[in-house]
Amino acid sequence: MDGPIDGALLAVILAGALATWLTRVGGPWLIARIRLGPAASAALEATPGAVLVALVAPAALSRPSDALAAAFVCLIARRVPMAVAVVAGVVAVVVLRRVM
Amino acid sequence: MNAPIPSPPVPARREFALGAVHALPIVVGAVPFGLLLGSLAAKAGISPLEMGLMSGLVFAGSSQFVAVELWSKGAAGAAVAGSILLVNLRHLLMGATLAPRLAGRPPLRVGAALFLMADEVWALALRRGEALTFAYWFGVGLTLYVAWLASTVAGTLAGALIADPAAWGLDFTFIAVFLCLLAGFWKGAGSLPPWLASAGAALGAHALMPGGPWHIVAGALAGGAVAAWRGRAS
Repeated sequence: MDGPIDGALLAVILAGALATWLTRVGGPWLIARIRLGPAASAALEATPGAVLVALVAPAALSRPSDALAAAFVCLIARRVPMAVAVVAGVVAVVVLRRVM
Repeated sequence: MNAPIPSPPVPARREFALGAVHALPIVVGAVPFGLLLGSLAAKAGISPLEMGLMSGLVFAGSSQFVAVELWSKGAAGAAVAGSILLVNLRHLLMGATLAPRLAGRPPLRVGAALFLMADEVWALALRRGEALTFAYWFGVGLTLYVAWLASTVAGTLAGALIADPAAWGLDFTFIAVFLCLLAGFWKGAGSLPPWLASAGAALGAHALMPGGPWHIVAGALAGGAVAAWRGRAS
């Protein structure tokens, strides 16, 4: 009889966990050992925004209703607390998906 | 007697609680996806214990979706583990941006803290700027960790309970959260060129290779390249 855990899957989980942790600690470790010029510093400074844009762009622009709701969230994001903006955005997307 | 009273440091408990509160909108968005991932895992023959181990040790949502999907199709173990690595390579770039906040801190605690560096934890931490503390980081990270662990295991136990989070607009939660965080990085019109480059590259990569993590890498590199070009000029 098999144990409660599949051995092959356990190996995948352990390898995946180690790989993931290395990607998480690797960034600060590498950057501490490299001297950055002005261009590289500017690139690194722009990275958080660029990553966030890349994370949302395909989904946010997948259909007109979602794009409108995303634009709405951008408009209110700096004026209301984040929780309010998120709830308002979800309500907007549900309504817009129904009417568009 | 009249010596000035030194201002006390912010108590760690308060910082931890603040982080936990800031994590709540993210938890609301993450739980339905945890339930969905669990139900997909159940269909793939993955047990609740195995799902709990994966969520507890890997703790990286999108890579877990890819892993469960590949496992259900009978992919080789090495291919599944390799896909987890590929999806999570973006962490290298994200972690690099945290380096100024981590320099000189105890390596063991940094290693433990970075274990919790999910996209949302990273973004909230960056928004704290120089006020970032370990207590705040663990407040955000552990809240999300417990929610993710509980919801993925619950989803596996419940099986195909959650059919489609998109029907409730819950898939939009992440878009809204990331857009709010993005607004915090707005520094005037100069922010726009890298962002537009990132959006263009991400859309292009996504059209060519949908589903993969490549659009994130493409967007990050394109945005970084534009910023580097402008940074060198100024």
